[in-house]
Amino acid sequence: MDFHRFSKPPTLITSLPDELIIDIIARVPISNYPTISLVSRRFRSTIASPELYRRRSLLQCTEHCLYALLYNSQTRDYRWYIRRRNGFVLIPSLPPMPAHGSFVSVGSKIYVLGGVYSSGVTSTVLTIDCTTHTMQHISNIPKLMGDTVAGIIDGKIYVIGLSELSKDKNSKGIMVFNTKTGIWEPEMIKLGFEIGRLWPGCVVMEGKIYMRDVENSFVYEPREDKWEREEMLNSKKWEYACVVDDILYYYDVFKKILRAYDIKHKCWREVEGVGRLLPEPSRALWSYTVSYGGKLAVFLPKEIHKKNTTEIWCAEIALERRQGGGILGNVEWGGVVIDGDFFYVRCLSVLV
Amino acid sequence: MSSNMIMLKSSDGASFEIEEAAARKSKIIANMIEVECVDEDKAIPLQNVTGNILALVIEYCNKHIVDDDDDVATEEASEEEEEAKKKKVDDWEAEFMNSMSLETMFELLLAANYLNIKSLIDLVCQTIANNIKDKTPEEVRKIFSIENDFTPEEEEEIRKENAWAFG
Repeated sequence: MDFHRFSKPPTLITSLPDELIIDIIARVPISNYPTISLVSRRFRSTIASPELYRRRSLLQCTEHCLYALLYNSQTRDYRWYIRRRNGFVLIPSLPPMPAHGSFVSVGSKIYVLGGVYSSGVTSTVLTIDCTTHTMQHISNIPKLMGDTVAGIIDGKIYVIGLSELSKDKNSKGIMVFNTKTGIWEPEMIKLGFEIGRLWPGCVVMEGKIYMRDVENSFVYEPREDKWEREEMLNSKKWEYACVVDDILYYYDVFKKILRAYDIKHKCWREVEGVGRLLPEPSRALWSYTVSYGGKLAVFLPKEIHKKNTTEIWCAEIALERRQGGGILGNVEWGGVVIDGDFFYVRCLSVLV
Repeated sequence: MSSNMIMLKSSDGASFEIEEAAARKSKIIANMIEVECVDEDKAIPLQNVTGNILALVIEYCNKHIVDDDDDVATEEASEEEEEAKKKKVDDWEAEFMNSMSLETMFELLLAANYLNIKSLIDLVCQTIANNIKDKTPEEVRKIFSIENDFTPEEEEEIRKENAWAFG
């Protein structure tokens, strides 16, 4: 046998430069990454490298991952969970969050603005890097704010709520944080109306922020600093809504209908084809919708017999716009995402 | 002048004739042509690519030059036609990649990287990624002949650290 003919060492995956290894791993689904980091030291350091996540984004290989903030009545803390195949899983590396903070996702990051710790009200702004599940304190809201909601338009986060924590309704305002520069706009924007508590949350559509208090629905357009009331939107008591293609969606737990609001035509519709989403027995008092990659996830509590125990139930829905404006929903998956003594707080879609 | 044929020479001395338009899929070769350091009689030496791999690169480039021409010619092609064409290319690419061993894939990837042929890098990376997807660490090591260089303690540590993430 001619030994020399076979003496060339074989080309293995380990012969590839880091840049190509990253190019390969970037195309593997992110849910595989914990497994890949167990292959060898080199694979582990690849998974930990920020370059890998830049490449995923460059190659448009990023995926929408759902992160939920849940309140655990047993441990009495607010913690982040990630949606995995088997449901919500606690992210152990992230510390407890403040109550009543505002949460916004930007790319692969979650911004946590203000809120209340047991030690008192905070004005801190934290960012959570969802590629590494680490947290950073990046800024402070220039004023102490309470009862806030937040939305993002063109990289600017609008934090709407009480300032200086006065009970006077007139002291409400908007503070604006530029995520690109990390700088707050110095002046607080005044509200165009007297607005009550904004507990139903807010959504952003076509560069405008839509919010609702107990009585009214309001629209704020930052570009022209313009405020409006929107009566038709307000005809339904929407809450914890989300937006897909400039249509607002929320689940009406009392009528058991998935509702959609078309801002262009200023009209409400019922999403067809989803049937009764509610699991039985259906005593849900709240619902929460979140959009991810053009789809919708609806979360609902499912009371079960044991006292104080609530399963959180989820339906994943693909949407189809029909000619004439109708919307068809297809429930692709439905099931329990977490079981235990939890209360649902927030859910965000993050691109990683 | 012939219809713009150029010669490429592999590291082990094999010569290949290729249409200039196909060779231009490689940014490196395209650059060489731009700056006119290509002598018509002389082959371009490619020191990092062996003959068997260069043959695959050329097969790929020849296949895709035709597709690029089609794109220009049939701008108004119907959606179905576009889809049918895309499927044809996808099928060809699947078969092309199927026909080679992993070792050949790595060599082809290194060559595509050296020659800077973006679509070929994409194709090979995606094929290798598909081989990693949804496999256990043991399976990945076996497929790619990777040595487990963690100590059992380290491996246990990472498993513990990551336990939450496997849900």
